[in-house]
Amino acid sequence: MRRPLTLYGLTFSLPLLIWQLLFFVFPLVFLVALSFWTVKNFRMQPDFDTVNWVTIYGRSVFWQAYGTTLAMAAFASALVSILAFPCAYAIAFKLSDNARRWAVFLMVIPFFTSYLVRVYSWQIFLSDAGIINVMLGWIGLGPYGLLNTVGATMIGYLTLTFPLVVLLQLFSLVFIDRTLIEAAHNLRCGRLRTVFEVIVPSARVGLVIAALFAFILCFGDFVSPIYLGGGDPTTLSILITDTTKSGQQWPRAAVIALTMIGTLLVVAFAAVRFAYKGRTK
Amino acid sequence: MSQMRMPRTGITRRTLLSTGAAALATPMLSRRAFAQATELTMLAWYGHAEPDIVAEFEAENNVKFVPKYYTGGDNMLGLISQSPPGTFDVILSDAEYVQALNEAGYVEELDPNDYAIDEYFPEFQNFPGNWSDGKLFSLVTRFGFLGVAYNTDALTEAEASSYNVFWDPKLTGKVGHFDWHLPNLGQMSLLNGNANPYDIDEAAWSAVKDKTMSLRPQIGGFFDYGGTFSSLNDGQMLAFAGIGDWITGVLEKNGAKVRSVIPEEGGLQWSECFSIGKGSTKAELAKKWIQYITSAKGQAKSANMAAYPALIPNQKGWEVLQAENPDEAKRQGMTKDAGNAIDMIREGRIQYRQWPVQQSLEDWNDFWSEYKGA
Amino acid sequence: MSDRDTASINRNRAVDVALKAYIVLGYAFVFAPIAASFVFSLNSDRFPSIPLGEFSLEWYKAVASDPLVWQGLRNTLFVGVTVGVIATALGFGAAYTDYRYKFFGKQVYLALALIPPTIPVVILGLAMLAYLSRISLSGNALSVIIAHVVICAPFAMAIIRLRLSQMDPDLEAAAWNLGASEWAAMRHVIVPFTMPAILGALFITMAVSFDEFAIAWFVSGLNETLPVKVLGFLQGQVSPRINAIGTFVFVTSMTLVILAQILLTGRGAQIRPSADE
Repeated sequence: MRRPLTLYGLTFSLPLLIWQLLFFVFPLVFLVALSFWTVKNFRMQPDFDTVNWVTIYGRSVFWQAYGTTLAMAAFASALVSILAFPCAYAIAFKLSDNARRWAVFLMVIPFFTSYLVRVYSWQIFLSDAGIINVMLGWIGLGPYGLLNTVGATMIGYLTLTFPLVVLLQLFSLVFIDRTLIEAAHNLRCGRLRTVFEVIVPSARVGLVIAALFAFILCFGDFVSPIYLGGGDPTTLSILITDTTKSGQQWPRAAVIALTMIGTLLVVAFAAVRFAYKGRTK
Repeated sequence: MSQMRMPRTGITRRTLLSTGAAALATPMLSRRAFAQATELTMLAWYGHAEPDIVAEFEAENNVKFVPKYYTGGDNMLGLISQSPPGTFDVILSDAEYVQALNEAGYVEELDPNDYAIDEYFPEFQNFPGNWSDGKLFSLVTRFGFLGVAYNTDALTEAEASSYNVFWDPKLTGKVGHFDWHLPNLGQMSLLNGNANPYDIDEAAWSAVKDKTMSLRPQIGGFFDYGGTFSSLNDGQMLAFAGIGDWITGVLEKNGAKVRSVIPEEGGLQWSECFSIGKGSTKAELAKKWIQYITSAKGQAKSANMAAYPALIPNQKGWEVLQAENPDEAKRQGMTKDAGNAIDMIREGRIQYRQWPVQQSLEDWNDFWSEYKGA
Repeated sequence: MSDRDTASINRNRAVDVALKAYIVLGYAFVFAPIAASFVFSLNSDRFPSIPLGEFSLEWYKAVASDPLVWQGLRNTLFVGVTVGVIATALGFGAAYTDYRYKFFGKQVYLALALIPPTIPVVILGLAMLAYLSRISLSGNALSVIIAHVVICAPFAMAIIRLRLSQMDPDLEAAAWNLGASEWAAMRHVIVPFTMPAILGALFITMAVSFDEFAIAWFVSGLNETLPVKVLGFLQGQVSPRINAIGTFVFVTSMTLVILAQILLTGRGAQIRPSADE
């Protein structure tokens, strides 16, 4: 199957390469350069000074935010994977073809409504006098402080990632070879065992990729932590905004950003390697 | 009856349809009208180029404002520095940033004779930062005070009349911060008894940090402009540091039970200034706008801006406001009575919000990050 | 063993019902904010709360009479469609390259193809703005398209690559053995096989672009897209206009999605393997 690149191959591989070089790598290289610039009186000056790296890495608040963000994004991606799986599973195996098509299209709809609008809407649900507390009040409970908590941030993360994760999981589940499942059944493999020993491994690529996307999206999101979490605790995305908010410290923000990029790269490659491990190509 | 009703329904429906069609067509029509109008770009806080402020000027001069709203002064500087010169014709800036705009050469020089500065209260005629080496670069157009914002159901005005109320046990988890170090730390500095809250030595700065840190367990969140609005309105936060009537005034007009008070330790003052962007090809029109908005008529409009109300520096503007909208003039304290807004300034109860003098801006900002992360 | 079998059949039904109920729950979670947004867009209160105020269309009127919102909508549609097409084309090429070729530096190539969405948008926004303004491409719809393709192409690639990984590798080779040229095999084997993924990628990339506000905020300059307007409303004066715009966009995209659904029904049925095969 593997052949040297030909004109035919280049037609497919080059456009993306050129586009990403021009409009992604170059700005990123610029970002690296930017992290060595200095700022005087609100103006950035080209320079080669490690002061930004030293300052950021020397601050405990940075490492604290780093840990928080990593933990929150990891938790969110595990949570959304677990919550989405039964849904994707049920859509894949328990619905008729027609119902499944509708399910997929319905799940696509949230992508076309603004994430910002949905987050704003969650505020109406979660606030002290919001929909949930009013409803709890009818049965004599509450009010509970729901908004401006880590839980609210998680709801925001779920809002951001749940539809995507369901779709990606579904996409890999739908194409599992049914004969495998039948074989498992014929071998009197129990329901749950079939799920965990046949279905999950067969759909591994999709499941891991879905979780990875969830992690990536949550790790960099600043809307949920600010508008649902009340900006407390500080995540890296909030720290970036804060850093740039006073005195045009974009070079320092660049340091934080580059660290985030590095982290995500490691996670992404580990995940992809894990996903495709043992696959014959 | 039914015969009677039928044609009436018909008419109603037709009316409805035509209204609907008109409503749908409106944007098309108005767009065509705007196509002939000159476009004037404005970089400002949200609300400054909304119809309630600019409609009259737009109609009179056949101008259409194209606003870019920013979310903070640094954000504004970032936008200007990354855009080609001449992108923004009119720039609204907080007073702290005016100096930075001058130094970076982002704004054109203004001719003081073009504007009705003599109508301004004396305190505002030589407003700090507006002038540099005897040259005028920007003109203050509105200002406001920052104190304690509180929910009137939860606190009495007497209780809210000291910054110490933030430490009240009944407010645990219910105190919000407007997420910017300058107004919050300035208020803490006032509470610590520093006469000039931004010009403090290392010992006083250290004391401010300690005092602030002790407030951390009380805090329910750090909010931007929009978040501050909604969390005060729905009672999510019962008291707020770092803001004033510019937020609670809007909510109050909307029926929310919130108010701002200048506590006994004193308040801070924010100020917004207009400038003409460097390289603007429509500088003449931009000048006309600044003339308009700093005139008595424009000032009265500006005081009652829908997005957020403010005090105005033009004395004649006060008179227009008192005549046109006495309730709002009274609510904001722009009356002839003793104890009005200008008296508060003259009594020394109000300090300018400004950059820290003895520490670097970074120190304050870094501490704020630490505080938030604590 | 037979005991367990009957038990599992009984349990089966209960589990099926539970799973279907779970689907409903999942959709309820997804649609709750959208529904609430719709309800409150018709509510007169300036700040949404319960109990509801009066029925009112004032927020729609406010939105409809704002020429900048219309401008934003046109920008968004134009940008979204263009981005969807370019990003899907680029993503398809990259996915196919990864599927078929092994070459020196492939890891780097893949990194380039997949990393962009991992960059926090706030920073990508600034880097883009700084860079694009240096090559005089900032402040218009084109710059938003450029930036959005960068972050959307990886999504397209991932989706199409996923589909390709489910293709029997011998299929394409079989086509060549039967005398088809590479181009013909691409047209008659690869493209039809990946069509659902291509359409999916088209939709997802368009959707990502429709919804992207942070980078667009930086590079769009004065040509703001609709999500940038919404961010402005959220950061600035929180207003039910957010809900009105949200509902409007929702209804529009709903219509588009249903239309697409109807158009694709025939083809879609062939694509999805049926459960009882």
